[in-house]
Amino acid sequence: MLEDVVVIVGAGHAGVHAAVRLAAWPGRVVVIDEQSGETYERPPLSKDFLKAEGQGDASIPPLRKEQFFADKSIERVHGRVESIDRRAHLVHIAGGRSIAYTKLILAPGSAPRALRIPGGSLTGVHLLKTRDDAVALRDALRPGRRVVIVGAGYIGLEVAAAAAVIGCETTVLEYADRVMSRVTSHPVSAFFERLHTEHGTRFVFGAEVTAISGDGHVESVMTADGSSYPADVVVAGIGVVPNHHLAEAAGLDVRDGIIVDADSRTSDPDVYACGDATRLVDAEAGVDRRLESIQSAQAQATNAANSIMGSARGKDEVPWFWTIQHGVRLQTAGLRRPDDQIVLRGRFADGRCTVLYVRDGRLAALDTVGSLSDFTAGKKLIARATPIDVDAAADVSIKLGEAIPAPQTSTL
Amino acid sequence: MTTATQTVINVVDRDGASRSVEWEPGQTLMETLRDNDFEVLASCGGTASCATCHVFLDKSIVDELGERSEDELELLEESEHYDANRSRLSCQVDAREALDGATVTVAPEED
Repeated sequence: MLEDVVVIVGAGHAGVHAAVRLAAWPGRVVVIDEQSGETYERPPLSKDFLKAEGQGDASIPPLRKEQFFADKSIERVHGRVESIDRRAHLVHIAGGRSIAYTKLILAPGSAPRALRIPGGSLTGVHLLKTRDDAVALRDALRPGRRVVIVGAGYIGLEVAAAAAVIGCETTVLEYADRVMSRVTSHPVSAFFERLHTEHGTRFVFGAEVTAISGDGHVESVMTADGSSYPADVVVAGIGVVPNHHLAEAAGLDVRDGIIVDADSRTSDPDVYACGDATRLVDAEAGVDRRLESIQSAQAQATNAANSIMGSARGKDEVPWFWTIQHGVRLQTAGLRRPDDQIVLRGRFADGRCTVLYVRDGRLAALDTVGSLSDFTAGKKLIARATPIDVDAAADVSIKLGEAIPAPQTSTL
Repeated sequence: MTTATQTVINVVDRDGASRSVEWEPGQTLMETLRDNDFEVLASCGGTASCATCHVFLDKSIVDELGERSEDELELLEESEHYDANRSRLSCQVDAREALDGATVTVAPEED
């Protein structure tokens, strides 16, 4: 009988986590990585790494040291997968090699959205996703340089913070009317806008970037209202697109992400997918979403590995996200909706505040700013969909975990 | 291969079983645990954001390691299993010779 083989495409957080979970499994595990070199952690790339002195990429921690894969007999293959033959259970790698699989896990991640405007590919325009991108951007951020960042999301703001600290003249152009509008509420946006402004970053909201000019190298960024912003460095932080093309070409169900179920299974029972490239659709649970989050990537990888090994599905975890800007930590748990009731716990003026998002009397999501004490407690309340006492929750002298309505006393 | 800075620790897992592992220079305690298959999720990759790498160390070692950061303390204090004398986030503990021979106990999983 032929040996069972799980082939994993991608060696980011999702792919590596799946491989780790499968390490105890008796069959072969093969990880195909388009990028060369060690696997690596991504969160530092837009944070401390940009501010760190020195050359090269030695300070980026690996997801697992190379020896780990050897010790666990996890095979590492460097190459780009060109196509998947689902009928023959083969992946074809550029250069002519093919690998047979019993089960396939796709973890191709996402790609940063490029500026599709005139001048968008001039030298000096940076995207930030990979280790190489981070090294190139770090080398470009020098004191006194004029840095124009397009997009005020997590990546744009983390880069803005690093650039400002390095001593760059930093401008952020944002199409919406506030920072992080996609991921948080007005009070949190206002706090972070002020934080960056105090560190010298200039914001332009409602800015529609139309072109970048320069003779080979960027010189300025143009917006629809006719304004021009001189720039030595341009960074696009305008979101990511899922790398679902390989799956699409293989005939798997794809809709802005590879469609997977709660076990991370695609429309082909022998093919799983996890991480940024996926869209979780679970009609019964009312879920249809694509999350860009390490926590979600790991959970999906766990579910794929468990399903392949025939073990029980992992525990559902509340989605969570974090960013650190100018030393201030924003941690989000749960998924807010714009019409949630907003309850402030603490004062932004004190540099720490938790914003609670209450839906139907229950805690649905929260943002903790400069404060972690509420994060764990709040995450548990969200997981349990606990009814919350809004007045108690707004009172910082009461622990968040205890801000629940008193039990109804029966009056017989 | 052994080096002058090699550290060997004794790790007790969630089932109470223990074994010795080598702690390589340059790694945090979390990375060592993760590389040796202990069940630390470390969802945040070691940035003191998630408390999924909570461990217990002897009080004397915790004292010797010095102050915990505000972030680490806030996360630990919210854990059901927090022990003021013995709790650390393993991602915030760097390799030190003082830890040679130490016993590290992986904290129970949160509910």
